[in-house]
Amino acid sequence: MRRTKAAAALATSAALVTLAACGGGGGNDDETGSGSSGEGFQDASETIAKDAERQGPAPDVEGASAGGTITVYLPDDPGPEDLDPTNGWSVTGNSIQQALTHRSLTQYSRDNETGEMILVPDLATDLGSPNEDFTEWTFTIRDDATWEDGKPITAEEVAWGIERSLDSEAFPSGPGTEYSTHYFLDADKYKGPYTDKGKDYKGITFDEDARTVTIKMSMPFPDMDYWGAFMAMGPAPLGKVSDPPEYGRSPLSTGPYKVESFRPSEELVLVKNDAWTAESDPARHQYADKWIFKFAADPTQTDELMLSGNTESQTALSTGITSENYAKFNQDLGERLVQQSAQCVSTWAPDYTKTSKEVRKALAYAYPYESVWQASGEVPGVTRVPANSIMPPGMSGKSDYQVDGEQITFQPEKAKEILAEAGEEGYEIHMAYNTGSPTVEAAQKQIEKGLTDSGFKVTSYPVPIETSLYTIWTDPDNKINKKLNLRGVNWCSDWPSGSTMLPALLRTGATYNTAFFSEESIDAKMDEIGTMPLEEQPAAWGALDEEIATDYYPIIPTAFRNDLFAFGEKIGNPTGDGALGAPNYKDLYVAQ
Amino acid sequence: MSAPAAGPETLGSLSDEPDINDPNSKQAKEISGKSPMQIALGRLRKDKIAVTCAIIVLFFVLVAIFADLIAKAFGVSLDTVTACEVLECNFANPGVGYPKTGPPFHPFDPEHPLGLAPRTGADNLAHWVYGCRTSLLIAGTATVIASVTGIVVGLVAGFAGGVVDRILSFIIDFFLTIPFLLAALTISPIIIDRFGTSDSYETVQIVSLIAILSLFTWMSVARLIRGEVLSLREREFIHAARVLGMPTRRILFKELLPNLTAPIVISVSLMLPAFVAAEAGLAFLGIGVTGSASWGQTISNAVPYWSNYAAFLWQPLLGVVALVLALNLLGDAVRDAFDPKTRR
Repeated sequence: MRRTKAAAALATSAALVTLAACGGGGGNDDETGSGSSGEGFQDASETIAKDAERQGPAPDVEGASAGGTITVYLPDDPGPEDLDPTNGWSVTGNSIQQALTHRSLTQYSRDNETGEMILVPDLATDLGSPNEDFTEWTFTIRDDATWEDGKPITAEEVAWGIERSLDSEAFPSGPGTEYSTHYFLDADKYKGPYTDKGKDYKGITFDEDARTVTIKMSMPFPDMDYWGAFMAMGPAPLGKVSDPPEYGRSPLSTGPYKVESFRPSEELVLVKNDAWTAESDPARHQYADKWIFKFAADPTQTDELMLSGNTESQTALSTGITSENYAKFNQDLGERLVQQSAQCVSTWAPDYTKTSKEVRKALAYAYPYESVWQASGEVPGVTRVPANSIMPPGMSGKSDYQVDGEQITFQPEKAKEILAEAGEEGYEIHMAYNTGSPTVEAAQKQIEKGLTDSGFKVTSYPVPIETSLYTIWTDPDNKINKKLNLRGVNWCSDWPSGSTMLPALLRTGATYNTAFFSEESIDAKMDEIGTMPLEEQPAAWGALDEEIATDYYPIIPTAFRNDLFAFGEKIGNPTGDGALGAPNYKDLYVAQ
Repeated sequence: MSAPAAGPETLGSLSDEPDINDPNSKQAKEISGKSPMQIALGRLRKDKIAVTCAIIVLFFVLVAIFADLIAKAFGVSLDTVTACEVLECNFANPGVGYPKTGPPFHPFDPEHPLGLAPRTGADNLAHWVYGCRTSLLIAGTATVIASVTGIVVGLVAGFAGGVVDRILSFIIDFFLTIPFLLAALTISPIIIDRFGTSDSYETVQIVSLIAILSLFTWMSVARLIRGEVLSLREREFIHAARVLGMPTRRILFKELLPNLTAPIVISVSLMLPAFVAAEAGLAFLGIGVTGSASWGQTISNAVPYWSNYAAFLWQPLLGVVALVLALNLLGDAVRDAFDPKTRR
């Protein structure tokens, strides 16, 4: 799902935030079941199991107790700009709201024995029933779920919430812009309930008596049950109440917690929602009394606090640590330092219309992988590992191909050779980078050094860090963007399928196709895979991944990513959520 | 022959020289010819703190001037190195993220006497030496510009009076109302936007920093000088010069200025350390010099390491503290030396 913060895209910077939402794939645990992070990079687990039968209440976490306040520090992560469920496509916002405040059709639950994430029902009574060719999905809405004001959630409200996701104008950064508008029936003609006011939309229907919501697709969409796990696929109050952007400031909660106060980039406070009942929810708990999320926390201060072990830190957790303290954390916290795999890949995207395949190959050898990770505060081998493909580890169908026979590493001499053979010595690279953060600037210096050592000439365009590089890369009219021939994207899967990776990055015209890669045959193949039998699709995506890399090599995968979470002593069940690449908020409690 | 009455009597307390009664002797001539400046220097020479501070300041000045030679002598440079060649990049080894040689986990490494920076692998000595140059270059130039501007404006405003004085005073007050930090924060992104891609980005950064610093500090000098001039211009010797038909320029620079030496020297001696600190402070905030080596920038990078690699933080900090302290104490001593009321 989503990109991670742009500075990170080029530099794969750690301190920077994952703006991206969910990945699929398994737990933080390696084979031995150890949650500690001393063993290097751990792959996400193979697949996400589904359990359509799961009903509330969720089984109690062993030893869990109620009460207490959990404080979550998010170092350098500004968090969501608003809380409108339809607009939530960042890993941070989605993981918090999905787990605590906003329910949708389906959801993920962590199996605390195996660490695997399981797709289970949420507001729907099961995982939905598709027709034979997956062009029509019907979900039955449970009758015991309520809003925070105690009113029951109706099928109409769910249908309305889903319909909102079609409006790319009102929710430009919502996940609906990628999925709803691509798969839902007539989404090319209907621009959403706010932009096309008053128009009738036939794609989503509901039956209040049978409590069903039916979604019609324009093409087979077998992953609708995964897509249902986005909070954007949940209810919204009818009428003016849910008008954007006002609704985003204080949305009505449906989960075990409701919003007490929200200051963007600063703080979000959640308190118990008394209207929520455990019986209505197959996966969430309501252990803590209160949650406090501190956005954009100072990384150094957060580290000090977490390492101090004082009363304040005992009930706190941090969603990131700085690399300089990795060894200390590993030693002091042990099991409470959780390494969570995220199904994410960092890429370099040379402009397909301006560069040749040889130049792109040379670039791959010119990227000083480990040095860049080091400079940007990652722990090489733990939070970043070399990548071979676009599909991240743990995604079923991922191919272990090596485009050059073996893992591409930093080899300036080889890059020089390739450039010389292609007659492109001294090829000029134009790239943008963020200024104002020492880590990003240091990483950029490493990149420039690597490129220069490899025989490239580099012109870099500094952009103040307040401006996301994505803003520049995705704006075709941007002055700087027009000069660039090297961009990048960090991308995480929305669910464990190649369909959330390859099309988003490589389909002609896709927003985050910053390489401007465009091959008709590839576009056609992407659409074709969606029509294949379900069990053949993963392998087909893997094969397509390899084919694209072998024939065109349009984007250079630079790293697969992992996150490190530090939990305080009294936080019970310190685990990560493998589906979202975030702490497992649903199952955390304060030990008494 | 009689000794000049003013000689030994007034200067005696300032001089350790034995009383000389022969005005033709060498010593007697020296004593009798002393200007206020010479008197002050003489006092300074005897002030142990002043001498020590002067030596420290001189050391920093020399380091700044000969930065290239010093770096070469130690075989270090500012060039970017591939981080993983000098830093421990294998997470399985102890000290991951820290230098493979030298502090904090390994013994002294003669190739990098002050060690290496974590994350980037940059040489600390080179950054310290060139940071010293940046610091003094900016502080020195800004001081000169600010004092010259302040002196000229103050002289003109004070001496001309009337409308000119009112206009100049208004300009002074106007600049005093602009908050310095806010202006610096605002201008920085504009500069990046305008010059970010040009080859002279680093020079532009330094020039703009000098401009910002001097633009917001000349007012205090101007006010000080204006006040002094206001009281001086009604004195007899100025009236006499006017009556004699001396051109205004000559009155300003030959009659007034020498009498303003003390306030000027004092304000300069206070401005220098303030600028050194301001440069480091702005760089720490990320709105000063970021393109080249700077102490403030190194300090800002080193803060997260204060517990694990304290030396990294201490080096630039020591530079700033020593330089600012020495300049301040020297400034104090200079003020005392120039103040005729001081008893020693």
